Parts: sequence; structure tokens; C-alpha cells
Amino acid sequence: MLGGCLGLGLWYRAQMDGRIKALRNLENILELLSSEVRYGRASLPECCSHAARFLAPPFDAAFQEIGRRMEENSGMAFGEVFREEMAEGLTGLPLKEKDREDFLQFTLRTGFMDSQMQLKAMEQSMALIRNTQEKLTQEHAEKCRMALGLGAMSGLLLILILC
Amino acid sequence: MEQSILQLFPAGYRVFWQRTAREQEHIQEIRMRVGRPVIIHRDGREFFLSEQGAFTDSCQYAHCAAERELEEILEHICHYSPYAFEEELKRGFITVTGGHRVGVAGQAVLEADGSLRTLKNISYLNIRVAHEKKGAADGILSIIYSNGRLKNTLLISPPGCGKTTMLRDLIRQISDGSVYGRGMTVGVVDERSELAGSFMGKPQNDMGMRTDVLDGCPKDIGMLLLLRSMSPQVIAIDELGSDEELLALRRAAACGCKILATVHGEDRKDVESRFGWKSSLWDGMFDLVLVMGKEKGKCVVKQTYERGDGCAEVFGKYYGAGGMSGTGIVVSGTDGWEN
Repeated sequence: MLGGCLGLGLWYRAQMDGRIKALRNLENILELLSSEVRYGRASLPECCSHAARFLAPPFDAAFQEIGRRMEENSGMAFGEVFREEMAEGLTGLPLKEKDREDFLQFTLRTGFMDSQMQLKAMEQSMALIRNTQEKLTQEHAEKCRMALGLGAMSGLLLILILC
Repeated sequence: MEQSILQLFPAGYRVFWQRTAREQEHIQEIRMRVGRPVIIHRDGREFFLSEQGAFTDSCQYAHCAAERELEEILEHICHYSPYAFEEELKRGFITVTGGHRVGVAGQAVLEADGSLRTLKNISYLNIRVAHEKKGAADGILSIIYSNGRLKNTLLISPPGCGKTTMLRDLIRQISDGSVYGRGMTVGVVDERSELAGSFMGKPQNDMGMRTDVLDGCPKDIGMLLLLRSMSPQVIAIDELGSDEELLALRRAAACGCKILATVHGEDRKDVESRFGWKSSLWDGMFDLVLVMGKEKGKCVVKQTYERGDGCAEVFGKYYGAGGMSGTGIVVSGTDGWEN
């Protein structure tokens, strides 16, 4: 019983670790995309195709698919294709809905004549993700201790009640 | 290439443009202006598009392009990244998949020094539909080769008489090789992306298997760059326009390259007087000069000038979608190449 409750606390801790890691991953992806825009003046679909080579699963396949679909040109907007392809990859990660929306926000702001404007849109998404990440990291140690403590205590409480 | 113009439009507009795309072979231009009727140039005639996307002669029922519509189309053409097409927008046109050219006009944004920075509030689009005509040069291949050797050739023609179409097909056939000569390495400087119709650096037209295309580069710089980097056997350029280009072409010829070029003009004298170069200089550069024009609405090679052989007027050699063909009535002229 105690082990089970401790396990629950550890799972909660792992989820928190996973969220921070996933947010860091999303920030890196946006950093990679903005580098493509900044240095290569690449179009957004091109950025995705290039970035796919440097990404780990499941994002590599998703980004490759975005590039392929945009080249195929079914008439769908970049934002729609990006959201569709990322939906699956993002669903499998321990993220909150707000995190996903923060990441995808830049896809609503495309069509700028100036690359600086497009970069700003990406940087805003990055800043939102970074803020969440920093906040979580600050609370991380405390929350982890609490999760483990609560797990152990609730285990003991359950044993006491059952006894 | 079939219905490739449909790809210029976002999904929401494709049903409207379906009918136009089906007629792509016959369409020369699509003109869109904010708040004005969409105009289609089809087989040399002007049509409007109805709200259902059908061709109509009546302006009253014509569909007027909305500001948002143009914005969305331009955004789609630019892959939702207009910033990546900054240079193209500065030049005033974007070459897209299929080799079509989209001309844009709107409000100019200037730099402090008065140079053009970019265009904003783009309210005019002119889609020029590309028509690649394979076989257009079939009829002149026999005269541009002599014992398997390619002649330095200049095509002279007024606008709209098909010199670019002719040059494009010549490049393809010279590159791939034909019964008249073996395949040769061709370097093409395509300053305005009209020959290869390159999009993102990839030629949209068939330029032949041994052709290297330098896209968007000024011709005089590009020719020397190609000479150094790709060592072509043939250098081809469209629309000679300045003394610098002519000098660069001369330099390429001096390096042993064969040269193919086109120039705007009514005839040889017109071109010579415009550039102010002596006949002997042209003679030193080109072995063969073809003067093109229109007769009975068809594009024809009207005159050929061969170095030392005087002028031949060629009547009845038409070229078009089906390639150059004709009766080949050749009348010897008196107007020599060296006047």
C-alpha cells in the first residue's frame, strides 16, 4: 500500500519532469525554426523540411510531413497543416493545453513582408514557453518533495485506516 | 503542367478557378485588381469571370477581386512567407511552380537613399501563364549546326514573337543532343527566370540534361561566373540589353564557348543602331542571325543572316505548339551580313 502511494507520488514527479523537458524541446524547435528564418531567409515550409533533420521522433517525421504536404500544395494554409501534423506529436507529451497553444501561436501570425516580424512572432511563442518553463523549474523542487511526501503520508494514512 | 495554375490559389478559391484552370492551355494572362473585375486573356481575347468562375463578355456580371482575396492569394503564392520572396517582390514578380510569373504592384516602400525596399498594400496581380512548347526549335536545328558544330546564334525579334520560347527549346535540344549534333553542356543565365522558370532554384521547364541554370543573376556577372564555375560549352542568355552584357558575351565567345542569345528588335540594322556597335563586331561574334516576326498571326523566322553568306529570307516557316514546320520557301536576299 505504502509502495503504491509512493509510486503515485513518483509518477506525479516524473510528469512534472517530463513537462519541463517537453517545454525545453518545444523551445529548441522554435529556436531552430527561427534560425532558419534569420540566417537562411527560408520560407516556413522550407524551415520545417530543414529542421526535420535535426529533430528527434516524433517531431522529425511530423516536420518532414509538413514540408511534403506544403510542397504537394493542396491549398491548405501553412498554419492548418502545421497544427494538423503537430497534433499527434504534441498529444503524446505531458503538456497542458496552454503549452500546446503557446507553441502553436506563431502559426496564426504568418504572411509578413519582413523576416524580423516573422521572427518576432516566433520569439513571442518562445517567450511564453520559456516563462512557463522557468515557473515550473522554480516550483519543481518544492512540488517534487510535496508529491513524494504526500504519497508516503497518504500510504501510511491508508494503512492506518485499514488496520 | 496541366491545371498547374490552380496551385496558385488557396483551397477556398479553387472551385472558383477550376474552369479557368481547365482552359490553361489557351490562357495568356490573369489580371486581378482590388475592387475591379478579374480579366482573363484567352487566345488573344479579353474575358471577365462571373461570380461562378465562368467566362463572360459582360463586365456587369464580372467577379471583382476583394482586397482580402488578393492578400490570401499572394500569401499562398509566397508559401505563407512573403519575407522569403523579398528580392523577387522588389523586382516586381515572383516565378512560381509551373514556371508561371506573378507580377505585383502596390505601394512602394523606399529606403532612406531612395532605393526600393519592398512593396506593401499589393493591390494588383498579373499572372502570366507559362507555355512550354517542346519542339518549337525543330525547324531551325538544321541551320544552327554545321557538320555537327554549333554556330554562335543570335535571335532577333519584336516582343511577343516567341524568341524566348524558341531559345528555351534550342537550349533543351542542344543540351540533350539531336541528330544534328551531340549533347553539349549549356550554361544559362536566367536573370528574370523566364527561360527555366525556376522556383526555389529548381527549373520548372525542361532545360535539358546537360544544362546548368544560374537564376536571378544579372547577365553580365552571371556569364563570367558560369564560365569560371561550370565551364559550359555553350552560354545562353535571353534579351541582350546593355553593352556590358554584350562585352561579357564576347568574352565568353573568346573563351571558346558557343553563344546563343536573343535581343529585342525589328531587324539586324535596328539592333546594330541601338547598341551602336559596328557590323563587323557583331559579325565577329555571331555566325548566324535569325530575325523573327509575325505573319498572318503566326510566329515565323523571316530572315536568316549567315556570316559571309549574305541574307536569306525564309518565308512560310511557322512554329508554334506543334513545333516549327512549313514549306521552307527560301528566297535569297541581297542584304549581306557585312554591310
